[in-house]
Amino acid sequence: MQFTRTQHDLWHTRAGEDGPDAHPQPYDHALLTLERWHAVRDTWPTHFAAGVILSNTVDVASLAPDLPRLSLIALQFPKWTDGRAYTQARLLRQRHGYAGEIRAIGDVVVDMVPLLQRCGFSAVKLRADQRIESAQQALGFIGAHYQGDARGRLPVFRQSSQRQAA
Amino acid sequence: MYAYTDFDRQFVRARAAQFRHQLERHLRGELADDEFRPLRLQNGWYVQRHAPMLRVAVPYGEISARQLRQLARIARAYDRGFGHFTTRQNLQFNWIPLEKAADVMDLLADVDMHGIQTSGNCIRNITSDALAGVAADEAIDPHPYCEILRQWSTLHPEFAFLPRKFKIAVSGAAEDRAATAWHDIGLHLHRNAQGDVGFRVLVGGGMGRTPVIGSVIAEFVPWQQILVYIEAVVRVYNRFGRRDNMYKARIKILVKAEGQRFFDAVAEEFRQILEHDAEGSAHLIPQAEFDRVAANFARPANVREVRATIAPAGDQIDLPLAYSRWLERNVHAHQVRGYRAVTLSLKRAGQAPGDVTAEQMELAASLADRFSQGELRVTHDQNLLLPWVREVDLPGLWRSARDAGFATPNIGLLTDLINCPGGDFCALANARSIPVAAAITERFADLDAVYDIGDIDLHISGCINSCGHHHSGHIGILGVDKDGSEWYQVTLGGSDGSTLSGPATAGKVIGPSFAADEVPDVIEALIDTYRRERQADERFIETYRRIGVDAFKAAADAQRHATALAAA
Repeated sequence: MQFTRTQHDLWHTRAGEDGPDAHPQPYDHALLTLERWHAVRDTWPTHFAAGVILSNTVDVASLAPDLPRLSLIALQFPKWTDGRAYTQARLLRQRHGYAGEIRAIGDVVVDMVPLLQRCGFSAVKLRADQRIESAQQALGFIGAHYQGDARGRLPVFRQSSQRQAA
Repeated sequence: MYAYTDFDRQFVRARAAQFRHQLERHLRGELADDEFRPLRLQNGWYVQRHAPMLRVAVPYGEISARQLRQLARIARAYDRGFGHFTTRQNLQFNWIPLEKAADVMDLLADVDMHGIQTSGNCIRNITSDALAGVAADEAIDPHPYCEILRQWSTLHPEFAFLPRKFKIAVSGAAEDRAATAWHDIGLHLHRNAQGDVGFRVLVGGGMGRTPVIGSVIAEFVPWQQILVYIEAVVRVYNRFGRRDNMYKARIKILVKAEGQRFFDAVAEEFRQILEHDAEGSAHLIPQAEFDRVAANFARPANVREVRATIAPAGDQIDLPLAYSRWLERNVHAHQVRGYRAVTLSLKRAGQAPGDVTAEQMELAASLADRFSQGELRVTHDQNLLLPWVREVDLPGLWRSARDAGFATPNIGLLTDLINCPGGDFCALANARSIPVAAAITERFADLDAVYDIGDIDLHISGCINSCGHHHSGHIGILGVDKDGSEWYQVTLGGSDGSTLSGPATAGKVIGPSFAADEVPDVIEALIDTYRRERQADERFIETYRRIGVDAFKAAADAQRHATALAAA
């Protein structure tokens, strides 16, 4: 799991967007809203990496044709207890085979990180008051789970080495 | 019973360690109340009126004597010496200081117990028939499926923050003793025409302020596919369930609003998982896994059919009426000839329904060791049950149960009422429910009268959250708050879906609410009406259905002293 700090983040939205710039000039590591991406995708040069921010109400299937061109998908948590983006991440990984970065943004707190990881998120931008050290620690408590997950782990009942009969 | 593997044990230990870390961060001030709340809830810790409340998971109601003794130890050392069994087959403690929470979780882990997902907006503890595996009317034992579902739903990463709580109940018998139609998902095990085992799946049942009966979404899902099917249901709910209004967030609201479109979305999601997802078929249950889990629920080796009935008839002649009544009410038919299942009644004067002291827990554990293979069940109606009692042991068990205060022969009768903890303990409650239950129990202290009244479901909730299942009672009592004082709404004709009660349905309110001190009079008036109107062997609910609400309503209204005065 990669912990993204704002000051080291390659990805950025273009500053000075006070007017709705429907057709931004392409730039590398551009993080775009879905609407902007839709506006520019036909002309976006392949040498500029592009990423989109998805609201948690978006059906990720609608983005399926664009996935090979997107290096980053940022999924939003408007409140950390709103769990819709977990489903979006799983579907991106397991149904649509998305292999780029999936990043959790918004109200992201330490104790979500194990769930995020298991649902296929590869990066996390914690809320400003959260400590990365605590989040790393939170990843260490439970090493194995019952269900399969989006990282390709099989359910424990399909892992012959994991469990002996009682 | 299911025996934990090393994996299961390590998992619960790890979860306890994780919770300790979260608690320490909270106590150090690093984790604010708002962020700690969902974490503690998913480990069973509420903050209630007096202290935190801990809800301990008793998976599908199965508990060993050893586990019950550990609960007694916790009650004594950390609580005020008692606990409370709930309609969802769990146990609640009320007085444990939060600072001790992690220590208690370690003690639970010592006996393979925990509080995982007994609260929070996640898939809750799975409930089932308390007679699972022993019921005479059982087609298929639900136990192995319950355990596989328990494991699958435990810390499911995608479904930890659903719009609202999510409850699953499983039944495999002719009689529905798990109120399945009142659950977010109700599962009925049955065989199709080819003889294969699968599930009828109901979805969208629930109580609360909008009572809804579950609808059949699938007539037959092969057992191998049930995890995938439920994943599809819960995923559609996670995506589309309302999150803007807590009171409209349960899946029942989504199912009602979308109807066939919801069913279609589930069917499509199910198909997509199996046909398109990477590892989409990974959660099809392998036969080997089913066999491994099912072996845990095999009949105990020393339980063997007894050919001739060898109940000591000579002994029984001297036993009093109380014994024959106990045989009639508290002793249940069994799959194994020569065996019976026996309910230990937790409904007796002087104690709140479902409450047990530490001493009573230990006594019940001893009875389980002596008479029932060390195994007990928590029933949906808040009693304990011994599943493996030899007929020949019934007189001895009766004497011991009587001496321990467990032999009130009232199972299924008026005083075997369902009751939530209410305003005495619960921070959500609008009114107290325990004093109402106590007053009714006192009013109907005469066992002869209770016998004459016969089968009846009386359910009491202290607020609209419906933990006391008032919607499904033949008589339901709901505590409401009016201008800061406690009032009680009475409903009639509800059903949990049992054969006696008929298809699951919510009771109808019979008018404005009653003052607390009117409630016992109202109940008595309703019962008197029934006794006056009944024909032959009619039970309360049958008379109510035949004659309708008017006579009952008139009798209840005649008890409105306080309401009449207030109106005057």
